[in-house]
Amino acid sequence: MAGIKLYIGIWLGLVFATIMEVVIRSLPGAASLFVLIIMLIASVKAIAISLYYQNLRHEGIRLATLPIAAVVGIVFLAVSAAMTMSMGM
Amino acid sequence: MTNEETNAKDKSTYLPLIITVGLAIFLLGLAIYIPLIIAGLVIIIASVFKLFKDGAKERFADSKEADEEKYPLESVPKEKLGLWIFLASEILIFGSLIVAYGYVRVNSSSWPIATQTHNVLLGMTNTIILLTSSLAMILALVSIKAGNVRGLKLSLNGAFALGFTFLVIKLGFEWPTLFRNGFTINSGLPASSYFVLTGLHTMHVAVGLVAIGYLMFRTYQGGFTSTKHVAVENVGLYWHFVDIVWMFLFPLFYLI
Repeated sequence: MAGIKLYIGIWLGLVFATIMEVVIRSLPGAASLFVLIIMLIASVKAIAISLYYQNLRHEGIRLATLPIAAVVGIVFLAVSAAMTMSMGM
Repeated sequence: MTNEETNAKDKSTYLPLIITVGLAIFLLGLAIYIPLIIAGLVIIIASVFKLFKDGAKERFADSKEADEEKYPLESVPKEKLGLWIFLASEILIFGSLIVAYGYVRVNSSSWPIATQTHNVLLGMTNTIILLTSSLAMILALVSIKAGNVRGLKLSLNGAFALGFTFLVIKLGFEWPTLFRNGFTINSGLPASSYFVLTGLHTMHVAVGLVAIGYLMFRTYQGGFTSTKHVAVENVGLYWHFVDIVWMFLFPLFYLI
């Protein structure tokens, strides 16, 4: 039962975060800051789903290395794209 | 020939290769010639049917490998390991497309305002629907671990119904409205990037629904117990991944 309560708590948090994303988008102010905050919230939601619903927090670091390696690859790709843009290519 | 080699030969099958060829023909059909889609689908369905008829479980149920062959993941069951390798490849596919989307968007001189093009309320509703569906999937796993088959049935039915609702909203309401407004896959980079990414995600949701449907079928046949529920866990992992992808697509297309 404790597990069920935890999962429902996580779901409530995720729904709240989703509503917060929409509310933040409707606020007046610097758009670039809102983009950063919204993507940060999206990342936190994704990590929460991985850790709790996909149970990565109990799987051990060896298995977690697989998705982490893929994410690191994507981060490298994003950094490369950003560098290409900054060089005006 | 050793016993191990004989055993491996008995279990060998060309069907995964044929399924791959069928998939290649299907994708080729999507790209250049529509009738090939049907040919590809026929090959895939026939091969999968043959695979299950031949006893897929027995063919892939190999004898236990020596631990050193699986190092450093000797403690991970091979079904779960295979699924996580698959999910890692999916992260690379969706991640690359999202990075490409970000690149073209930042480099474009003009881009339609997200909130004026897309219905934020529908997007948010779909996000909450997928989150709830994920909750139902994890409750399905909790239920069967506790031996609660009725809870498993209820949770799987809920997850399926919510996933189906997501598809109905996406394909029945959102896309037709966008088409009517002239926002089609051919109407420029903003539209094509939207339809490619959300279309690929929608395909994943549809595949997930087929997998959940399979779980429901097996549940009603009494196929799961508190000690035998690997399929529930693995389909759940895939379903949560589909949820995670949407957590990024929603803000990217509907809010930013």
